[in-house]
Amino acid sequence: MTLTVCHLYPDLLNLYGDRGNVLAFVQRCRWRGLPVRVEEVNLGGTINFAEYDFLFIGGGSDREQALMAADLGARVDGLKAVVEDGLVVLAICGGYQLLGRFYRTPDGREIPGLGLMDFYTETGDKRLIGNAVIETGLNGKQVKLVGFENHGGRTYLNGLEPLGRVLKGHGNNGLDGLEGARYKNVFCSYLHGPLLPKNPALTDHLIALALQRKQEHMQLAVLDDTIEEMAREVMVKRLLG
Amino acid sequence: MNLRLILAVLAAKTAMFLSRFFGRGRGSSLPGMLALRIYPGILKHYRHQARRGVIMVTGTNGKTTTSNMLSGILVRAGYTVVTNREGANLLTGVTTAFIRAGSVTARVRSDYAVLEVDEAAFPVVTRWIKPNLVVITNFFRDQLDRYGELDTTIGKVLEAIQKLPSSTRLILNADDPLVVRFAGETGYPSRFYGVRPVPELAGDAAYSREAKFCPHCGAEFMYSIYLYSQLGDYKCPRCGFARPRPDIEASFVQVGLNGITARVDDDEGDWKIELPVQGMYNLYNALAAFTASLVLGVDPEAALAGLKMYSPAIGRMELFAYGDKKVTLTLVKNPTGFNQALAGLIAGKSRQDVMIAINDNDADGRDISWLWDVDFEILAQRPDKFNFFICTGKRAEEMALRLKYAGVPVSALHIERDYQRAIDGVLNGRGAAAGLLATYTALWPVEKILAQRAERVVYNDSNRVSPVS
Repeated sequence: MTLTVCHLYPDLLNLYGDRGNVLAFVQRCRWRGLPVRVEEVNLGGTINFAEYDFLFIGGGSDREQALMAADLGARVDGLKAVVEDGLVVLAICGGYQLLGRFYRTPDGREIPGLGLMDFYTETGDKRLIGNAVIETGLNGKQVKLVGFENHGGRTYLNGLEPLGRVLKGHGNNGLDGLEGARYKNVFCSYLHGPLLPKNPALTDHLIALALQRKQEHMQLAVLDDTIEEMAREVMVKRLLG
Repeated sequence: MNLRLILAVLAAKTAMFLSRFFGRGRGSSLPGMLALRIYPGILKHYRHQARRGVIMVTGTNGKTTTSNMLSGILVRAGYTVVTNREGANLLTGVTTAFIRAGSVTARVRSDYAVLEVDEAAFPVVTRWIKPNLVVITNFFRDQLDRYGELDTTIGKVLEAIQKLPSSTRLILNADDPLVVRFAGETGYPSRFYGVRPVPELAGDAAYSREAKFCPHCGAEFMYSIYLYSQLGDYKCPRCGFARPRPDIEASFVQVGLNGITARVDDDEGDWKIELPVQGMYNLYNALAAFTASLVLGVDPEAALAGLKMYSPAIGRMELFAYGDKKVTLTLVKNPTGFNQALAGLIAGKSRQDVMIAINDNDADGRDISWLWDVDFEILAQRPDKFNFFICTGKRAEEMALRLKYAGVPVSALHIERDYQRAIDGVLNGRGAAAGLLATYTALWPVEKILAQRAERVVYNDSNRVSPVS
């Protein structure tokens, strides 16, 4: 049994320490003795969605995001099938926006997204920037997640479940107090920082879901998360007092 | 006489005096800030006061070093120079520099102004002061939360330069495609400097490269060699945009323990450049300063003599001695600079202890996710070189976390929020050397404590290292 991680377009979408998310997933498997391997897929590369246990999509600058959208658009059917089948996906920032229905530009044009999830994004006038804390439920447990957001787009969920509720920060659009989105095993967020290293509960949740989907029913070994918790607590304390 | 002008200058000069008196900071931004509050248009009075011209240095890395090297050369050549030496490179810092150099009636008697100007502040500063010469060092990712993405930053600098008179001359880094595009897109007279791309100099840090795509046609660049980050020998397979032949090129680069030597040549002749500082990035800084000084008509030999005498500004790889222990202090502010600093640590012969101070104040960049783009993995791969890592500063925990995920054993990681204890810890480690790295706002306090405990080492004329007595 080996967990296979697909890091989509690492050459293109390498903004804001995104590779830290893949690193966190991989290290936390390795520290438990779970065999794991990473496949990096770049523009035009072969993607075998059926072989992956965890798919990571990050964000990039506008130009890079347009390239990614074109490349992924050509494979949307394959991606849709595995998402419906419960593939564990983490999509951050631009990767998040891409999974929705469309992105509306200031002149009212609608750039179609992949349409895998029911939300849309439109341009706002000011970028939403800063440290953020959100609260989310993972396996029935309330958990605070911390990260840094920096996005111009405002995302609106059409009744879709958010990743969490904003305790401090802007979230999807600065208005409705929601952050990110969830659908099946897809987790979307504007929080980078990167998100996974200092939110080990979320990372372990993703690992557990990936194992379940593989019919590997095992209890994840407990790791010493002293430093992870310290890094998270610093920001929770600073923002929530 | 303009009363507001005199009031503003007086307020700024009073603030300068007081900050010296109380020893708070170095008073490099606050006086200018006060003056601008009182009189927002104050800079226009200084517009034509540098008789021979204004030189601005902008780009991501190397601004402070390049402008210090250039003003050092000009001063040695007998000119008077106004400069913002402390790296205070926003509108406030530039204003402070002129007020400090001038009289209460805002008269400045100087030949040149050599100003390092922050990329994001460049459009604002050039609204008031028009440079005759602009040096662009490089563009790397830096503090994205302040400026938005790199493309936007470059676009704004380009737009600002296009608003300058077309006689404005540009000094450009030939090895960075993001810089070279300024020649074509402005059509201004440009001189290029670069390092001959030979395999011996090829770097291997594959991450944090910014320019993968041609700025003109969007095709993916082909590189025959990467020197570091996106600097190297590049070519666009579609439209032919490629590294230009540099007007000033360094070759036969020798990196020694106490500095760098290289051959430099242009069409007229060749010379030997000797620098008392380490790091390929410093060779680039020196080439930029050298090229600019030639354009300004300085004799090449005099320029090279000035470079040989260069002493680094605070945090630009400063050297200290703590007993027999060699201690280095380096400013880190983005992945490229941090990777270069780590390469410097790995290259050290002796086993060492390391302290890293990370803050996330505005001046450091509030978003520290760039730490995850730095190749700390190379530290974990060399356990023979390092005893332990002390993490300090407001984001000490995140730094420790980054090292943990890079593969550094948790037993070698220490979190110590207190600077004094962190510095004592690293100085008293078992290693024969100590490496201290700090982000911008952590640098001053660390430097101050370090200077109390260790002896500062300077390079003397014969290029040998000796402690200050």
